[in-house]
Parts: sequence; structure tokens; C-alpha cells
Amino acid sequence: MSQADRAAAIDALLLEVEVERLFSAEAELLDERRFDAWLDLLHDDIRYWMPIARNVRFDRPELEYTQEGSEANWFDEDKETLRKRVKQLQGGDHWAEEPRSRTTHLVANVRLDKVENIDITIRCRFMVSSRRLDHDVDLFIGKRTDVLRRTEGGLKILRRAVYLDQSVLLSRNLTTFF
Amino acid sequence: MAASTWEEKSYTVHNIMRTADFIDLDAGTLSREIFSSEDIFRRELERVFLPAWNFVGHTSQLAQAGDFFLSRVGTEPVIVSRDQQGAIHVLLNSCRHRGMPACRYDVGNAKGFTCSYHGWSYGLDGALTGVPKFDDRYRGRLDREKWGLIRARVSIFYGSIWATFDDGAPSFEDYLGADMRFYLRSLLQGPDGGDDGYEVIGGIVKWQIPCNWKFGAENFAGDHYHGYSHISVERLSIGLSGRTSRHNFAAVKIARQAMSVADPKRGHTIRASVYQALGPYDPQAGAPDEVNAYYRKCHEERQRRLGDKARLMIHGGVIFPNTHFNSAGRTTIGLWLPLAAGRTEVWRWLFVPRNAPNAVKETLREYYLRYAGPSGMVEQDDMENWTAAQRGTEGMVARKHPFNYQLAMGLARRSRPDEWLGDEVSITEDVAEHNQRAFYAHWARLMATAP
Repeated sequence: MSQADRAAAIDALLLEVEVERLFSAEAELLDERRFDAWLDLLHDDIRYWMPIARNVRFDRPELEYTQEGSEANWFDEDKETLRKRVKQLQGGDHWAEEPRSRTTHLVANVRLDKVENIDITIRCRFMVSSRRLDHDVDLFIGKRTDVLRRTEGGLKILRRAVYLDQSVLLSRNLTTFF
Repeated sequence: MAASTWEEKSYTVHNIMRTADFIDLDAGTLSREIFSSEDIFRRELERVFLPAWNFVGHTSQLAQAGDFFLSRVGTEPVIVSRDQQGAIHVLLNSCRHRGMPACRYDVGNAKGFTCSYHGWSYGLDGALTGVPKFDDRYRGRLDREKWGLIRARVSIFYGSIWATFDDGAPSFEDYLGADMRFYLRSLLQGPDGGDDGYEVIGGIVKWQIPCNWKFGAENFAGDHYHGYSHISVERLSIGLSGRTSRHNFAAVKIARQAMSVADPKRGHTIRASVYQALGPYDPQAGAPDEVNAYYRKCHEERQRRLGDKARLMIHGGVIFPNTHFNSAGRTTIGLWLPLAAGRTEVWRWLFVPRNAPNAVKETLREYYLRYAGPSGMVEQDDMENWTAAQRGTEGMVARKHPFNYQLAMGLARRSRPDEWLGDEVSITEDVAEHNQRAFYAHWARLMATAP
């Protein structure tokens, strides 16, 4: 390995570690319900999108997830609507989360996909466990593609696509963030 | 017809159920067992669901010949397809040979369906078109006419598709009755009052709730009372009105009378409001100019088309037993699909006006995503409450104590007898459990029917 290749590999590794640490910190903010601090991690122009999965023929892969911007989705949010969701969670009167659920967000298989100028595309896998009241168990597993933008205030999440493995949602609610 | 009479008349219907201590509409009480007993659940599948007509989808989902999607009629999985001649079919999705689904794709376009087990194949109309070893091992004697996919009876009503597997059921139009034909037609009119005015946006939202299907049904049937459920979203503004409300109609300045409308003979129910007068369009402060321009034009067109009836605003309702809808500026239709006494699958179709500019469709789509389903800021609290109510039906002690349905009992009245509200329906103005009582009265009538 040449000196230059080695330096580039180390840069990529450092970036990956930086992103992994960001995702770990983010998971902790969500699990501790520090939602205002979580909102600060999001770029003001964020698109937060979670399509609905369908069972489709092998040669129609474009139908497997509902389209962003035109079809039914679990989430298709900007920062303003995410802020509203956070406000709803913070009043003590959103019964679906009162008393609060206990969540654990795990992020794994974090991989740099591409770096374009100030935007970094990351692929990863997630597992979110939510335990509610005494008996309710929800497990959400899937894949995520994020675009992070380097800003003066650090890395901010500019785009998040969340692909849940379930088609029919076997849980009654999606009251956590992914 | 005076609205107060049906509750009195319907008392006689329930003797069988009353002796079983399940329902007492004299007292306005209902046993918790009807939500938790598996015996009652199995009886419901036979008595309530089998004879029913059930929404299965919308013609806009089948734009081309060969288009299909999967749906359900009660507990039964079905294929809804459009054949090469343009006819729409609803087929039991169960191969006649060994019961496998003939189609395993939620949506697509095909020439037909082939079972993945032994390869029997069927046309878009359900006809059995291919049987491996037909000539040599069935010796050409298998009666292909007889072994096609089971066909449901189908009815298309202003773009909506309905089906039943009961040959003895009345026609869909008679099943609805004259008054509900008016209300369902109104629901399916675009904002401009034009018939069949909506199209479905892609993707049916599907999820499960650990509660009995009737908690959803009775809520959609007539619960104007559960404002407390939604106080967290009422602090915010998620509609287009720009006001702190979940509803777009928060922007409308004209006074309106909320009412519960029930067809006591058939169990169908409508939540609606009637405005005191026709008036000019009130802009939605939270909507872009293009969206307001569209709705202003529609508002005026609707008044021209419908005249005095344009004062009606449908909030939602239930076509008995399990097809539910939500309206008032956000048209969705859905199904409560019974899985077990304590488990329900919900399917929800989201509609946008077909003649609207994209900006309107997009604004509405975003509104639905904030409002409805497991990620909806409104319905999340409904699902939480119904799940908790289900637990409240399970204890041995709790089950001895019935639920209370006495809200506004005996207060059935109609102060403004607009004749076009219907001949056979009964109406209670303001907050009431009028519709829930009508829903359960019909439910009990079917459950009590001798086999």
C-alpha cells in the first residue's frame, strides 16, 4: 500500500468511526427521550422517509417499497413535522407514549457508501426494541440509508431513508424515531 | 320518521341476546364478553361477516387490463382484477386443488395467476385455464368449468368496489338502503361535488391491533365523544386550517350542527355535520395559495351542483359491519379485518381528488401521514386506547360488569328536519352514543338469528 493510499484509507476509517459515534450518540438521545437534542442533529432541510413494503414479483422490484413524495408511506417528514411529533411526545398527554415506552436503538453494519463534497452517504442496519407497559413487545428491524452533511455545527442528518422489513406492520403504533 | 321511535321498536329484537346477558339496549349496556369471547367471535364470522358486503378497493387501482391487487372479504383473502375486456373480478385467493394462494403478489399486472404448488393456472376472471397432466393423468375429464377460482359477487358503486360471497345477500344497493346510498355517494363525490371524484394513492396501509374489531368499528360509527383521546394533537396544528386543531374544517366560520345518523334496519352509521347556511369559501391559512385556489373553485362548484345539500359534511362512518371511512376533507376508506377475538388487522386506502393539481394531492397525502394509522399523530392514541380497552374485557371480575352506552340515550331528536338527510335513518344531534346503539342493535339481531 502506498503512503497516499494508506492515508486515504485512514481518512475513510476515521470518517466511519466519526459516523458510528454519531449514530451511537443519536441512539442514546432517542432512548433517553432527549428529543430536542435529537432534533439538533437533524439538518434544517432534512427529509425523513419510511416507505411501506409490499410483496411483489421478482421482476418488479420498483414496486417493493412505496414511492417517496407520491404514495402512502409510514413517514415522509421534514423538520417542521418532526418538531410537531416531538412536541406531541413532550406534553404528557400523548397516550400512545404515556407512560413512556422503553426503547433500545441499535445501529450496526455502518458502511461508507460515498463521499461527495460535504455530503456523506452511509448505509447501515438497525434494530429497535420497544417495550411498553407490562406486556407489549415491538421489534423493528431494517435498513437505513442516510446522507450526512458536514456543517459548521458538525455532521447533520440531511436525509434518512428507513426500510422496515415488515409489510403488514405487526405493531399497533410507530411512536419512536428510527 | 320521528327519530326516537327506532330505539323503542328495536327493544323487541334483542330478547335472545338479552337472555344471554350480552346486550341490553333498554339499559344501554353491553357485555364485555362480546369483545373477548372466542365463541362469540366464531359466531360473528358466520352471522355478521359472511352475509355482509365488504369494500375491497377502488377502480382507480385497476387502470389497465391485467392490473390486480390483493384484498380481503372478512377473513377471506381475495384477488381483485381487471380482465382484458375491462370487467372487474373479486376471486377467492385459494387454489381449488390444495388451497394455496393463486396469487402471492400484493399488486401487479398479469395475464393470469398460477399456483406455486402444482401449477394450476387461472385467468384474470378466475377461470381454470391450465392443469398440468390434464390430458394424460386427468384423461381430459377434469371439469374445468367447475374448478375455477371461487368468484365473489361484485358491485361497483361510484368507483368503489364491493364484494360478498353470500349468494343470499341482497344486492349491494339494497344492502346499503336508499339513505346510505345517498351518504356513500356523497362521500365519494370530489370536493367539487362531482360523482366518483377520487382516486387511491399508491400503497394500502396495513397494520394489526391487539383488540377486537368492534372497538374500531364503534369508534368510527359514531364516537363524537372521545375528544379527550386526542388532546395531545389538538395542542398542535396538523390540518391545513393553520389553527391548533387536527381538522381542516376548523377554518370554516359558519356554525354547524354535528349529528349521528344511523340506519337502524341495516346497522350503517354516519357521523356528519350540517352547516346552518351555505356560505363563501373560508381559506385554509395553513395551505399554499394553489391549494386554496383549487378548494375555492370546488366549493363554488359543489354549491352549484348540490344546492342546499352542499351544507352536508360527512365526518366518517361505517358500512356495516367492518368497512369504515373518514372524511371531512380527508377521505380514507378502510377495513377492520377480524383475526381473533383480541386481534384485528386494519387496511386503509387513502384518496385524493382525481382532478386536483399535484400540489393538492401532495398536501392531502402529507395530511394523511400526519393523521392516520400507526404513524398518525391522531390515530396512535386511538390504537393505544382500544388495546387498553381490550385488556379491560378479559378479567373474570371485570367481565361481570357491562360497558355503558347510555350517552344521550332517549335524546334522539332532529331540530332541523332537512328532508334530504333521509327517510329511514334516525338522527341524534350533538354528542351521543346513538350510532353505537344502532350498530350493536343490528349486530345483536344478526347474532340472534337462528342458524
